Amino acid sequence: MLEARNVVASYGKTRVLNGLSVGFEPGRMTALVGPNGCGKSTLLKAIMGFVPLRAGIVRLAGEDLHRIARRGFARRIAYLPQESHCPDYMTLGELVELAGYARYSLLGGPSARDRELFAHALETVGLADMADRQVNALSGGQRQRAFIAMVLAQDAEIVLMDEPVNHLDMKYQYAVLDLVRDLTETHGKTVVTVLHDLNLTTTFADNVVMMREGRLEAMGAVGETVTAETVSRVFDLDADIFARNGRLVCLPNRDIGARIAPPTRTEATA
Amino acid sequence: MRPRWLVLVLIGLALLASLLANLAIGAVQIGWSDVLAALVRFDPDSYDHFVVVYQRLPRALIAIYTGALMAVGGTVLQGLTRNPLASPSTLGINAGAMLFVIVGAYTFDLGLTAQGIAALAGAVFGFASCLSVARLAGLSRDPRGLALILSGALVSMLFVGIANAFLLADPARRTDFLGWITGNINHVYADRLADFWWIGLLSFAILGAIARPLTLVMLGQEKASSAGVNITWVTRAALAAVTLGAGSAVAICGPIGFVGLVVPHIVRPFIGAGLGLALPAGAMTGAIFCLIGDLVARQAFTPYVLHTGVLMDLIGGIVFVAIVRRFYLTPGARGET
Repeated sequence: MLEARNVVASYGKTRVLNGLSVGFEPGRMTALVGPNGCGKSTLLKAIMGFVPLRAGIVRLAGEDLHRIARRGFARRIAYLPQESHCPDYMTLGELVELAGYARYSLLGGPSARDRELFAHALETVGLADMADRQVNALSGGQRQRAFIAMVLAQDAEIVLMDEPVNHLDMKYQYAVLDLVRDLTETHGKTVVTVLHDLNLTTTFADNVVMMREGRLEAMGAVGETVTAETVSRVFDLDADIFARNGRLVCLPNRDIGARIAPPTRTEATA
Repeated sequence: MRPRWLVLVLIGLALLASLLANLAIGAVQIGWSDVLAALVRFDPDSYDHFVVVYQRLPRALIAIYTGALMAVGGTVLQGLTRNPLASPSTLGINAGAMLFVIVGAYTFDLGLTAQGIAALAGAVFGFASCLSVARLAGLSRDPRGLALILSGALVSMLFVGIANAFLLADPARRTDFLGWITGNINHVYADRLADFWWIGLLSFAILGAIARPLTLVMLGQEKASSAGVNITWVTRAALAAVTLGAGSAVAICGPIGFVGLVVPHIVRPFIGAGLGLALPAGAMTGAIFCLIGDLVARQAFTPYVLHTGVLMDLIGGIVFVAIVRRFYLTPGARGET
């Protein structure tokens, strides 16, 4: 199990994580939600080791995660950044092949099993026949699925995603999250993803971690955790939460515009 | 995948052809069969054989060495900084190497080998200066903007100015360096190639060994790190290999500019972005450029012989403008990646 204990992290003097403790249930999809600047992305980056911890520890199966060497780390945890870059003229096939780097020897390349894995990753995201296409020539939705294929091809048990459906239209948001959900269901992976939309969260995630100002506000199964009370507390927002066709819908009330309080702290990038 | 290997083979054949052309064409035209004969069965009594082996072959080898290292340097720097204008000549590496050689030779009377070492130190110093000026100018963490290139240009101008001041100070020795300072592929520098060739080889070997993690770095530091790349070490190794490689080329024949800037852009559409293929393809194409550039510089304005560096600067300046237009001035050209 992946868990963070009393994690403190800051950008310069701005403290972004204030002694946060969370655990992520293996084989489940957990959504990180909260207002802008609440530290969702920073939590992922702190787990990845991109943001140094001022205090606290991140453990994977009891082991201090940040003591694991980079390649060993990559074999266990994959990460999808908020913005993915790809050099011009790189093909989808090359992109996916790079994902296996942590398994290759110094001068060696992918094994037969790796190649199977890559083909399977492209198949899973529905881009099986496009391995020779250039990544930067793909549409927004295809491009995002390409990077998800790369994460899949890394073959790690845990996948961290930072707003994987940002910039996508509604149809692709559902298609991509359906795919992400499938990573847990058919591939048995643990998925932790930052999501902005509560309705996407209630539709796709098993568990939810609700954060505000670098602190944990609520954590648990989506059905029990996303309530009018927690939404009000975390987002400072009046909303109706009701069940429809077996899933929760969050419908904010219209007069919120008048209620926006002056920001309590500078908005760091989420 | 297969067509890309084919591209590599074609570039290899083109390299062979330009090498033979470089050896055969000159003030004295020498037939293909004689060129081959000179290489395989050298006849000490034949004037043609002498020209091929003692004049043209060293030139050609220097051209190959310089072109390959500059192109590889440009490919790696453009990938690392994700900046289409990065290259040894635009980031102060060449100018730094040149400055140190001139200053070393003028003030400390350095011999040939010591000059070479000065060039290597100067290459590192030039690149470090470029980075620190960029940082002073407020370039935070994003190296893609023009700030880095402007810093490189600034540092290069300063270094060239200082070097010129040294040259002017001592007219008697000026002529020794006047050719070299503009980038001169010349057989008289063959001794330097014999001294430094192993640095280039080492540079290639290092870059070849880290080609895959370097390719990953082009996807962004966080992505690369999450895929298992030790960013610090890979970046350091790559920068060391590039600066020392380019520095050794400058030590041999002076700052040959723009090959490193231009060649990666020409090669990339055909060979792709992966450095495993882009590095050998770039190296060979850079070599072809310098071989042909040397040939043109020698032949185009006979009886006058142009310096290869001057010719390269002429061509490179035009391509530089084209790249700025495509990557910086076209609306919406950046941003999508």
